[in-house]
Amino acid sequence: MSDLLTQLRSGIGIVGPAQQAPDPVNIPMIRHWCEAMGEGNPNYLDEESAEHGPHGEIVAPPAMLNAWTMPGVRIKHEEMGNPPLPKNLSAESEGEDAESYSQTLSLLDAAGYIGVVATNSEHVYHRYLRLGERIEGRQKLVDVSEEKQTALGIGHFVTTETEYQTTEGDPVGSMFFRILKFKPYTGRDTGQGRGDTGPDSGSGRGDNAGGAAAPNAPPPQLQRPKPSMNPDTQFFWEGAANKELRIQQCNNCLRLQHPPGVRCPACGSMDLGWIVASGKGTLYSHCQVHYPPLPAFKQPPIVGLVELEEGTRLVSNITDCSYGQVKVGMDLQVWFHKDPQGFSLPLFRPARRPRREQTLLLEEVKVGDEMPLCPIPLTPTAIVATAIATRDYQDVHHDRDLAHEKGSKDIFMNILSSSGLASRYVNDWAGPDAMFKNLKIRLGAPNHPYDCMTMSGKVTAIENHADDGSSADVTVEFAGINSLGPHITGSAVLSVPAAPRR
Amino acid sequence: MKFSYEIAIAGIGATEFSKDSGRTPMQLAVECCAAACEDAGLPPSEVNGMVVFSAENNPEIEVARNLGISELTHFSMVHHGGGAACGVIALAAQAIYSGAADYVLCYRAFNERSWHRFGSGVQDRPAGAEAEVVSFSWSTPFGLVSPASWVAMFATRYMHEFGATSEDFGRVSVVDRQHAANNPAAYFYERPITLEDHQASRMIVDPLRLLDCCQETDGGQALLITSAQRARDLKQKPAVLAAAAQGASEDQHMMRSYYRDSIVGIPEMGLCARQLWQMSQLGPDDIDVGIIYDHFTPLVLPQLEEFGFCDRGEAKDFIADGNLTLNGSLPFNTHGGQLGEAYLHGMNGIAEGVRQIRGTSVNQVDSAANILVTAGTAVPTSALILSQDNH
Repeated sequence: MSDLLTQLRSGIGIVGPAQQAPDPVNIPMIRHWCEAMGEGNPNYLDEESAEHGPHGEIVAPPAMLNAWTMPGVRIKHEEMGNPPLPKNLSAESEGEDAESYSQTLSLLDAAGYIGVVATNSEHVYHRYLRLGERIEGRQKLVDVSEEKQTALGIGHFVTTETEYQTTEGDPVGSMFFRILKFKPYTGRDTGQGRGDTGPDSGSGRGDNAGGAAAPNAPPPQLQRPKPSMNPDTQFFWEGAANKELRIQQCNNCLRLQHPPGVRCPACGSMDLGWIVASGKGTLYSHCQVHYPPLPAFKQPPIVGLVELEEGTRLVSNITDCSYGQVKVGMDLQVWFHKDPQGFSLPLFRPARRPRREQTLLLEEVKVGDEMPLCPIPLTPTAIVATAIATRDYQDVHHDRDLAHEKGSKDIFMNILSSSGLASRYVNDWAGPDAMFKNLKIRLGAPNHPYDCMTMSGKVTAIENHADDGSSADVTVEFAGINSLGPHITGSAVLSVPAAPRR
Repeated sequence: MKFSYEIAIAGIGATEFSKDSGRTPMQLAVECCAAACEDAGLPPSEVNGMVVFSAENNPEIEVARNLGISELTHFSMVHHGGGAACGVIALAAQAIYSGAADYVLCYRAFNERSWHRFGSGVQDRPAGAEAEVVSFSWSTPFGLVSPASWVAMFATRYMHEFGATSEDFGRVSVVDRQHAANNPAAYFYERPITLEDHQASRMIVDPLRLLDCCQETDGGQALLITSAQRARDLKQKPAVLAAAAQGASEDQHMMRSYYRDSIVGIPEMGLCARQLWQMSQLGPDDIDVGIIYDHFTPLVLPQLEEFGFCDRGEAKDFIADGNLTLNGSLPFNTHGGQLGEAYLHGMNGIAEGVRQIRGTSVNQVDSAANILVTAGTAVPTSALILSQDNH
């Protein structure tokens, strides 16, 4: 064992002192978190509704567990020319607390492993937190791995376990947590540029666009075939450029038609205009093009015949899901792809199903049930807002320059947000009064801006039926896939009621 | 129409079917036309009409010059790719019946494998403002660029509505290859396949596998048309045209008629069927052999339904019951079809219909009296019935 590893492992088993949440459980932080995650469960914010719910009062989203004790902004206040903050407001003050863990991280930083990504988070919830309760966590270093070659770079996995309790000593939950500390630009896929590639080389994940075609195959077209247009069809493409899906309409008899024509075949009018479609539709038919090779597409494109709710159909791509998830009849939502060649295309992804307002009952769920697909567009705002809402001010989640420096092609979503979004997904499906018992996730490909992560899931177990038959534990397994691959995989156990809890 | 039973196919001629002919398409065109004349026992100089596909890249006047044809009194073209196959015969029949020409050559010749590959689709087609180019823009930017992809969209919907499976499509392929295995002219001579082979073949455009797709072929096929009366004086037994018709239906698009209320039928083929039955005074029970256009297996199924060989949605059962084999009720593509013999835009299928009438098919059906031949599906199309000369 190297000297470094010996040093790194010297703190294993040591429980650090309590890290106290700077604030008690409070409405503003819950609101900020719910807004950033898109969480609408009334038990978290709506006092009146929560009173009639299973908790009898407002509770915090359980996935916020470790957000309460996050250290907050780590700017050295004095460096900004200000007098030192009082100790209880200073992020620096927590440095001495989690001794063994922070020492391990400092050693890794000093040895060049300055990159950091979280890879695993497993929450166990003993109960939901109420307003006014203040929690503290005691973190124990449990493992430091050998040096490993990963897709991101050479590094060590560091694993901790944290027990959470209220300041009154009432245990509320625990967390198993693992991060990877790595040397930037030493990833498996960075190839010859290892160690000295610029930020544009990406995070070391391969992008298979432009892959070599088979010999004797037709010459690959590197870009999407460009649409031809003329004055009869221009309105459609101009609409797409303005993020509008337009359908030709006869100004005389109001009949809609696509593809557009020059005369209304129903009434004979040549006075044709257009309407803006809602962008909602269902899938009428589909196929996936494997041949001829189309390197403009990262994956063999999924092509759908989409029936709009206005009644007309159009051909488009179905994005942000796998071909196995594509089904005739599925609900779709338009989005607009801006092509580097200068035109825009209306494309479709699975539509997000609205949150379930009436909580799922045991009789309505069985093992094997599929949860609806749920796309989560990853805007820079979404990534930064969720990071801040989880009190995670690590620079790689909001500062692109520093993310580059630490080996990423761009900022990326923090694990507390992935966990939060997964909990929202499960909560939307199960309804407000299903109660989380745990939430376990593992991260893979990073969630970078301008991508989209689509959640899917299924019921894998129903067990631990309550003696009085009032509830049982339902296990769901879920995944969130983005264009690079699976970002998140995990599971949750929910207590699902047999009868309405309100 | 009055040309029913008055016109005949008097000669057929083809080159070998290969993946690399080693010569120009013009040479293939001239070779097959000369062979059709020789088959009929007619000097090429007697030909005075030519009807070809608008997709044909060997101009009829150059072929005529090479054949030593001095005067042409009728020349015309039919659009829409493989949908033209029986259409050129229908147009030739009308020209002959009206007196515009006496002997008409129809041909299709290309190096579709060794030169420009058909399967690569239209992705590299230059942009333009004309309606036909613009119409492609409703699909090509999304990767729907090849004939297989255009058909796949119909196939998925058909599977969804009728519960058909990839295996149901595969059974079409198996029959084609079974018949091709007996045909020395077929590219896949002596190479039959099993349903397992079909299921193991790679995806081209899901749900279409490689073995659902016709070949890409180098070759040429020509047919010589004349009046039934003149045909009786030529070398071969006439294959009389009981009927021939074209069809394009409401909201018709080239390969992508996706916007109709239903897309599981082929209304333009139904339109052909109605005309054929009316012109010929025949019905589905009178048909002894079906040469059904098979660029892609899924669209064979609705064709069987449009012609009334089975009810809507039941073609999968009709096929699974063995009706398309030589011992079935509708022996199918006895040359091996375009999956087994060659892809000549349907022209080789018409030639097989002629052989069945003559009694010279390698998979001859006993006392075959009436042969149905269909042309390309998903496009404006055509169909014909060849019958014995009962004069």
